[in-house]
Amino acid sequence: MLRKLLVMAVVAFMAIGFSLDAQAEGTVKIGAIYLLSGAFSTYGQFAKNGIELAADEINSSGGILGKKIEFVLEDSTGKANVGIQAARKLVYQENVDLLMGLDSSGVAKGLVPVVPELKKPFIITHAASPDVTGSLCNKYVFRISLNIAQNTKAAALIAKELGVKKWTTIGPDYDFGHQSWEFFGNYLKELDPEVVLSADPSFPKFKAEDFTPFINKVISDKPEGVFISLWGGDLINFIRQANNLGFFKQNFKVLMSLGAATEVLTALGDQMPEGIWVGTRYWFAANDTPTNNNFVAAYKKRFGDYPSYNSQGAYAAVYAYKTAIEKAKSFEPDKIIAALENLTVDTPSGELLIRAEDHQAVVNGNWGITKADKNYPIRILDPIRIFPGKDITPTPQESGCNMQ
Amino acid sequence: MRKKIQLGVLLLLAVVLVLLPKVSPFFIVFVATEILILGLFATSFNLMFGYCGLLSFGHGAFFGTGAYVAGLLLQHLQWDFIWVLAVAPLAAAVGATLIGWLCVRLNEVYFSMLTLAFGMMVFAIAHQWRSVTGGSDGLAGFPLTEVGIGLDIVLANPFHFYYLTLLIVALSLAAIYLLTISPFGLILRAMRENTERVAFAGIPANRYRLYGFILSGLFSGLAGALFATFSRVAVPEMSHWTQSAEPILMTILGGSQYFFGPLAGAAVFLGLKTLITSYTSEWMIYLGVILLGMVLFLPKGIFGLLERWLGGRT
Amino acid sequence: MNLMTAFVAALLNSFDIGILLFIIASGLTIVFGVLGILNFAHGALYMAGAYFLLTLMGTVGMPFWVGVLIAPLGVALLAVLIERFLLRRIYHRHPSFGLLLTFALLLIIDDAVRLIWGSGYHIVEPPQLLRGAASLFGVTYPLYSFFTIGMGILIGIAVWLIFHRTRIGKTVRAAALDPEMAQAVGINVPIVLTVVFGFGAWLAALGGALAAPMRTLGPAMGDTIIIESFIVVVIGGLGSFPGALFGALILGGIHGFGGRWLAEWNIVLPYIGMALVLLWRPEGLMGRR
Repeated sequence: MLRKLLVMAVVAFMAIGFSLDAQAEGTVKIGAIYLLSGAFSTYGQFAKNGIELAADEINSSGGILGKKIEFVLEDSTGKANVGIQAARKLVYQENVDLLMGLDSSGVAKGLVPVVPELKKPFIITHAASPDVTGSLCNKYVFRISLNIAQNTKAAALIAKELGVKKWTTIGPDYDFGHQSWEFFGNYLKELDPEVVLSADPSFPKFKAEDFTPFINKVISDKPEGVFISLWGGDLINFIRQANNLGFFKQNFKVLMSLGAATEVLTALGDQMPEGIWVGTRYWFAANDTPTNNNFVAAYKKRFGDYPSYNSQGAYAAVYAYKTAIEKAKSFEPDKIIAALENLTVDTPSGELLIRAEDHQAVVNGNWGITKADKNYPIRILDPIRIFPGKDITPTPQESGCNMQ
Repeated sequence: MRKKIQLGVLLLLAVVLVLLPKVSPFFIVFVATEILILGLFATSFNLMFGYCGLLSFGHGAFFGTGAYVAGLLLQHLQWDFIWVLAVAPLAAAVGATLIGWLCVRLNEVYFSMLTLAFGMMVFAIAHQWRSVTGGSDGLAGFPLTEVGIGLDIVLANPFHFYYLTLLIVALSLAAIYLLTISPFGLILRAMRENTERVAFAGIPANRYRLYGFILSGLFSGLAGALFATFSRVAVPEMSHWTQSAEPILMTILGGSQYFFGPLAGAAVFLGLKTLITSYTSEWMIYLGVILLGMVLFLPKGIFGLLERWLGGRT
Repeated sequence: MNLMTAFVAALLNSFDIGILLFIIASGLTIVFGVLGILNFAHGALYMAGAYFLLTLMGTVGMPFWVGVLIAPLGVALLAVLIERFLLRRIYHRHPSFGLLLTFALLLIIDDAVRLIWGSGYHIVEPPQLLRGAASLFGVTYPLYSFFTIGMGILIGIAVWLIFHRTRIGKTVRAAALDPEMAQAVGINVPIVLTVVFGFGAWLAALGGALAAPMRTLGPAMGDTIIIESFIVVVIGGLGSFPGALFGALILGGIHGFGGRWLAEWNIVLPYIGMALVLLWRPEGLMGRR
C-alpha cells in the first residue's frame, strides 16, 4: 500500500506541474475573454471571428514589429468570478502580453479593479457599463467600444429632434436596462426640460421570452415615445410579439438602442418593422473608408455574413494594439499603455481617439431608420445617422474617472 | 484498513498542499485556492447530503450570503479580515436557521425543491436590491484589508491568501470531521438510515436536522466569504441554482460516503474545467461526457475507486 | 385599454404560457411517476424539438404541419436510445444519480445543438393560416397563441384517455405502482419504461416545436424551461398528470398577472409560489404521498 501511496504522490506532483505552455519566440500573445458558451455564445463567436481576421491580416503582412500574433480565448461564461480567474490563467499560465474582451458589464465591473494586479494592458471591446472608464477606471484598462452613455446620448439627440415629450421604456430588468433608461432620461431632460419621463417604466425580467404583458401595457399607457434597450434574443422575441399586437402601428415613436445589431436583423429578416429608429455600436455600411470596405469584404468572404458590431470591436482592438506597439516601438506593457493614451486608430467604425484621461475611446455612434432593400437579405439603415464621438462622449470630468 | 487508507491519503494530501506553491506553476496556486474554497463548500453541503440524506438544491443561498456580507463589510467598513470571516458565516447561519426551520420538515425531493426555492429568493434579493447589493453587477472593487490580530498577511498576495485559505479550510474540515464522529454526527447518520426509528428513540429528529442545516449553512457562508475575497466580487450568480448545483456535482463525483469525497470531487471538477477550457470553447460537452462516464462507472465516486485500488491486494 | 381588457389580456397570456408549460411539464411528471427520475435534460429535449423543426422546415423544406408531427418523433427516438443505453443502468441507484446523469445529458445536448446549428439566433415562421392576431373581448391577441391553447387542451385530453381508458395505460400504471408484481403477471416492464421515457421526451419536444414559432431559438433555450417545469410539477404534485395542468396554469397566471402588475417581483414569484405550496402541502396540490 505504501508503494501505491508513493505512486500517487508522484502522480499528484506531476499533475500539478502540468506543462507550461512554452511561448514561441517571436510572437506576441493576446489573451481574449468572451462569452463562449451558453445562451449568448454568439457574441463570443463574433469576437473570435474579428480577432482571427485581424490576426491573419497582420501576420500575413509581417506581424507587429516583426512578431506574429498568437491568440488564446477563454470563456467568461458571463460570471465575474469566472472572468477574473480566466484573466489570471491567461496572464500567469498562458503568459499573454495583451488582454482584451468582455461582453457582460457585470464581468467587466468585477474584473477591471483586478487588472492592475495582472500588469497587462486590457482593451474592452463590448461591455458598455460607463463605470469601467468612469468610477472604476485605472491605468491598465481601455475601452474601444461605444458605452451606454455615448449610445444613449445619441438616442436622446434623436428623441429631441422627434419632438415628442412623453417617454417611457421597455428594458431588461438588470443593471444594463435600468442604466440605459437613467442615462437616456437624464440626457433628454438636459436637452429638453419639458420632457415627461414615465414614472412606471417596463422592465421585464432578462430572458423573459414572453413580452406580451409589457407590450399591452405600453400600448394602453399611450406614450409619445418608447425607448427600448432590449437586445439579442429578448429583442427578437419582443419584436415578433410586438408585430402581432400592432405595437409598431401605434401612435408613438420607437427608439431601439441596440436594434441594428446584425444578429437580430439576420434572425428577424423581413419580420423587422420598417421605419424604426435603431442604434448599434457599429454599422457595416456607415463608413465608406478603405479600412471599413476592406474589413466588410474580407469578413463577408471568410464568414459569409455582414460583420457584427462585436466582430468589429475585437478587430479594432487588435489593430489598436498594433498601432500602439508600433508607436511605442516596444512590447513593454507600460510603454504600450503610454502609447495607447491619446492614440488615434483607424478602425472600420471610423477614426477614433483613445482618451488619456479616462481611456474611453471617443467613437462614433451609429443610428438609422430601418428599411427594406432588395440588395440585402436583412433590413438596412436608411438614412444612416452618424453621431461624431465628440458630440456624444461625456467629458472625463463627467465620467467620474480619477486615474492615479 | 479503511482508517489506514484515510490516514495515508490525508498525510499525503497535507504534504502536497503545503509544498504546492513551492513546486507548481504560479497559476496552479489560484486553482488550488479555488479548489480548497469550493471543497469546503461541498463538504459543508455534504453534511446535509451524506450524513442526513437530504439533498439541498439551495446552498448557494448561504454561499452567496457569506460572499455579500464579506463584500459589504470590506466595501463600507473596511474591517480587519479576521472579523469579516467571523461575521459573514454567522450571517449565513442566521439565514440557514430561518430557511432550515422551514425546510427540515420535508424529505427527499420535496426538501430539494424547497431549498431550491429559497436559494432563488436569495438570488432575487441580490439581483433586485440595487441600492445595497449593486444589482446584477454585484459588488466589485472592494478593498482588501489587513487580516488583523497582528498577522502579517497580505490578502492580495496569492501565496499568502493560499496559505490563509489552507489554514482556514483545514481547521473547518477538522471541526466538521469532529462533528461527524461526535454523538451528534451519529444521530444524523442514523437518521439517514431510518428517520422514524430515530424519532421513536425519543430524539427530536427535525431539531437535529435543523442543527445540521445551520452548521452546514455556517460553513457554506465561510466558503462564500473566502470566495468573494478570492474572486474580488460578490455577484448574484453566487446564490443561483447553478451555483448550488456545483457542490452536488463535486460531492457525487468524489463520493458522498467519504468525508474527503467532496474535496476530491472539487479538485477533479475544477481541475478538469481548467484543463478543458484551455483547449476548447465546447467544454460543456466534454465535461458532460466525463460526468456521464463517472456516473455510470464510478458509483461510489473517485474515493470509492481509490479505496478499491488501495484496498485491493498488491 | 381599461382594467377589464387588461385583465382579459393577462388571462389570455396566463393560458398561453400555462398551456405550453403544461405540455412540457406533463412529460416530466409522467417520467417521474413511472421511472422515478427527475429528468434534468427535459429542457434540452424541448430545445431539440424546436431545432429539429427548424431544420425540417428550413433545410428539408417541409410545411409546418408535417414538421410539427415529425420533429418530436425524432427526439423521442433519441430518448429511447438514451433510456436503453444509459438510464437503464442506474434505476437501482439513489435518485440523485438520475439527476446527475440527466444533468450530464443536458450539458452534452446543449453543446451538441450549438455545434450543429451554431450559436446564432433563429426564428420559425408560424403557418400562413395562423399569422396575425384575433380579437377576444376587445383584446387583440396572436392567432397562433389560440392555436397552442387548443392543441394543449387536445393533447391533455388524449393523454388522460390513454392513461385511464386503455390497456396501455393500465399496463403503464401497473408497472409504475409495483414493477415486480407487474413483471410477474407478464408485463414487460423494461419495454414499458423505455416507451414511457420516449413518450415524455415526445411531449417535451412537441412543446418545443409548438413554441418555436413564438420563441427565439438560441443556445441553452431549454434552461429556463426546465426550472419552470420543475416548479410546475412540484406545485401540481410530482407524478400527477392533472397536477401538471393545475401547476402549469398557476405558473402561467403568475407570469401573466405578475408580469403585468408586479414586474419587478417576476423573477422570484414562481419560487415564492412553489415554497408556499411545499410548506402547505408538500405532496403538491393534486399529489398523493
